[in-house]
Amino acid sequence: MSTSAKAPPGHFKILYFGPAENHTSITSENLPAPLSVAKLFSTLEKKYGGIKTNLLESCLVTVNLEYVDIPEDENDEGMVIQEGDEVAIIPPVSSG
Amino acid sequence: MDKATSSAEILRSQIAATEEELGRLKEQLAAVEAKEAEDLNRLSMQEKPGLVTQGNWPLELEEYKRYGRQMIVPNVGIQGQLRLKAASLLIVGAGGLGCPAAAYIAGAGVGTIGIVDGDIVETSNLHRQILHSTAKVGMKKVESAIEFLASLNPNVRFIAHNEHLSPQNAKEIVENYDVVLDCTDHPTSRYLISDICVLLHKPLISASALRTDGQLIVLNSPPLPHGDPSGGPCYRCVFPKPPPAESVVSCGDGGILGPVVGIMGVLQALEAIKLIAAGKLTAREGEKAGEASMLLFSANSNPPFRSVRLRARRQKCFACSKEGGLTLESLSSGSLDYVLFCGVTTPVKILEPQERIEAREYERVLNGGKGKDHLLVDVREKVQFDICSIEGSVNVPFSTLQGNRALAADEKPLWIPQTLPTNAPIYLVCRLGNDSQIVVRKLKEIGLDKDGRYIGDIKDGLKEWKKQVDSSWPEY
Repeated sequence: MSTSAKAPPGHFKILYFGPAENHTSITSENLPAPLSVAKLFSTLEKKYGGIKTNLLESCLVTVNLEYVDIPEDENDEGMVIQEGDEVAIIPPVSSG
Repeated sequence: MDKATSSAEILRSQIAATEEELGRLKEQLAAVEAKEAEDLNRLSMQEKPGLVTQGNWPLELEEYKRYGRQMIVPNVGIQGQLRLKAASLLIVGAGGLGCPAAAYIAGAGVGTIGIVDGDIVETSNLHRQILHSTAKVGMKKVESAIEFLASLNPNVRFIAHNEHLSPQNAKEIVENYDVVLDCTDHPTSRYLISDICVLLHKPLISASALRTDGQLIVLNSPPLPHGDPSGGPCYRCVFPKPPPAESVVSCGDGGILGPVVGIMGVLQALEAIKLIAAGKLTAREGEKAGEASMLLFSANSNPPFRSVRLRARRQKCFACSKEGGLTLESLSSGSLDYVLFCGVTTPVKILEPQERIEAREYERVLNGGKGKDHLLVDVREKVQFDICSIEGSVNVPFSTLQGNRALAADEKPLWIPQTLPTNAPIYLVCRLGNDSQIVVRKLKEIGLDKDGRYIGDIKDGLKEWKKQVDSSWPEY
């Protein structure tokens, strides 16, 4: 995946690691910025039906390589993903 | 005549002086030879135990040679090597992660290594579990691993635990070690190992791998008591909620590349050696956790390695916070049900008996002359279908029928041939007979059976096809 390429203006890049790719069929994409992290899951749920409960709720989410807390209520404030940011969806992998 | 007498006199005195010099040289030679013999004697005496005359080295001479190349690395040194020798380390899982990790840790001279695993070596393990050889198929993994490791480094004390780690035996096994490596393959064991390490104050080095990706985290380091926010985060701090059971993919189902899991196991060994050599097995007075991070490896990504910063201990963590409810008693007594917490996958059982046919019945359909008037749909992923498939079957991977890509009602899927009569039966098949049932249900939901068409699956999938019909079928 060409994860090193920057997102175009007005967008952020989102990376889907490991099993997350099974839900999205892609390893990365660009989504419109700004977007509050509280609305990240519902935004993805619209694109990929079922992804919220089957994947996102057990994932670690990072913005620019740093973990972020996802507020339970999507109207909560919380951090806002900015243009050019890199978001990563990191599901727990337990096999080995 | 007088002249001749004086020349003879000179020669005589010259001979006498030379002879005297020769004597002195011979004495010197004798002294040097005597000293050499004495030195040789002393050296040979040193090699005999009990006859040491000088030098009281903390390691055996063989160990200086064996570990020299790592001891001269500034971060290790003689002190680091002595710490490695004094340390005891537990490896949980002697598989794709545990094998390479154990090889490097034994090679590095960790004094005591325990290995926990209840499985036996299978042929499908050999491409990645490098301590097990073809001749060891059928042998207990722990015994196979220790046989390899003992021949690699006989200085190490190995302890075999020929069982799986469970809430009942976890305390008894883990308490004897300084540091733990989680090399297991399931969410239940990941939470159990993390919990017991929090309770017994052990640092934990956890790794995992699937297909071409891997994760590495050093947890509970420094291993401060629960409720102390200066301690390192635990597995529950990073992943408080387990993934839904039906979404958990094993290496057997999802696949794994040997070097990918190998890299992750080798990284675990590296973190263990760093931790031990630096004297960080226990927290030092007033020590605070450094920034915890998770290392992600994706073989096909650019860059292949990414390090993400993790949170410190979670304030409301069930295991390591003050508010958490985890105790040794609740863990050991079994009142903490890890299987329940992580969810159970039961074999799919959604079809009625009349919606399923045996593999041998399908063979009769195939050979009964009615072959043209049915469709066999194989819902395995394409990579599996390409390895082997039943003649005439079409491949519609299960993943292409998921989520938003699911089938719409009253829309005839493109993979149904135009020439297929609308009442011709459709049979579904997969590897084990789970996914095929789900697809049968979906096809009926969108009304593909409305013209009296039979839709059903081959019970227990291609596994039964091999048993009942075609023994030459290549099971992978």
